[in-house]
This record gives sequence, structure tokens and C-alpha cells, in this order.
Amino acid sequence: MPTSSETLAKLPADVDLRARPAADFVRAAMGFDAEIVIAHGDREADAKSLLAVLALGARRGATLRLRADGDDASVAVDALASRIATLQEL
Amino acid sequence: MVGIVLVSHSPELAGGLAELARQMAGPDVTIEVAGGGPDGRLGTDGDRVRDAIRHADTGEGVVVLGDIGSAFLTIRHVLERMNGRVRLVDAPFVEGTVSAAVVASAGSGLDDVAKAAEDARGANKL
Repeated sequence: MPTSSETLAKLPADVDLRARPAADFVRAAMGFDAEIVIAHGDREADAKSLLAVLALGARRGATLRLRADGDDASVAVDALASRIATLQEL
Repeated sequence: MVGIVLVSHSPELAGGLAELARQMAGPDVTIEVAGGGPDGRLGTDGDRVRDAIRHADTGEGVVVLGDIGSAFLTIRHVLERMNGRVRLVDAPFVEGTVSAAVVASAGSGLDDVAKAAEDARGANKL
């Protein structure tokens, strides 16, 4: 039975969701079966699409919304929220 | 892991793109470049392309991206004489490369890495 799950996550104060951090996030998202959407303001992106995530233009300290649909939705949003909070520039 | 080969008329263009993709994908993905012609000028060189593909292939296949026009003639010419799981993709050079590299770094197979590169064509930047 597919489930749906949502949460908020905040980027660290010194990390934009660009290049390396964006790739780290997308790589983590690809580890889940659920369909995952990451949203910033009124923009949404497939969390498994690097280019879509980059186009969000989320800057340091931004609050992001995560929504997942699928069997591992709950685990996915929890894991990805903590991944976002611990992203690093290097 | 699926390897990636970048074929460009310019060694600097291929090298810079490889640097960007490696930074985003991490050290586990093999990204090889074949930049410049046999005479060292702008152009493409089949021997360099063939060597790059061989070095990039660690057993799970290789995705090849080219910059423009005649690069694809060179690549096709090489692929006609090569065996192995090599996929030439029709993708924007920069976006296709970084997408493919990151998907490869997640351990995805050849089909998924090739699709990531080709899907980059429809991605908006703004």
C-alpha cells in the first residue's frame, strides 16, 4: 500500500543547493523507490533530477518542502530532511 | 560503475567539463576526455576517442557525449569498429554530462545513465 509523507527541511546557513551539495542530495534521493518532490517557494522539482533540483535556485538557509509517495516514503523524507540539514559545500 | 567519455573539439572545454562533473559526481565515476584533433588544433581524433572509451570502461558500459557536429562523425566512426557496451547519446554537452555523471555515481546502469543525459535536453535553467 503506497503511503505519502511530507516534511520541511532547512539548508545550512552556509550552503546553497548548487553543484556539489545538489548532487549529494540527488544521489541520496535516488536511493529510495518513492517518488520524491522537493519544493522551494512555488517551485517544485523531482528530487532525483539533478538539473531540476539545481533550477530551484535554493540559497543558504532556505526552507524546503519534501514530499514522497511510495512504500518507503516516510523513511525517504526523514532521511532526506536530515541530509539537507547536513549538506556541506565541500 | 558506468563510465563517461567527453569528446570535444577543444581539450580545454572537455577538461573543464570533466572537472565540473567530477566535483559533482565524486571520485568513483570514471570520466575520460578526448579533446582536440590529431594535430593539436581544434578538432576531434578517433584514436583519442577510442583510448578514452577503453579507459572509461570498467565493465558496466560507457556513455559517450560529444560537443558539436563533426565530433559525432568521429565517434560513430570509432564505434563502428568497437565492441562493448558503449552508448552514444544525443544530449546537451554540459547538462547531459553532469546529469549522467551524478546518476552514474549512484550506481545506476547504462540505460539509466544514458537516459539522464538525454533527458537533460528538456531541462529548464530558470
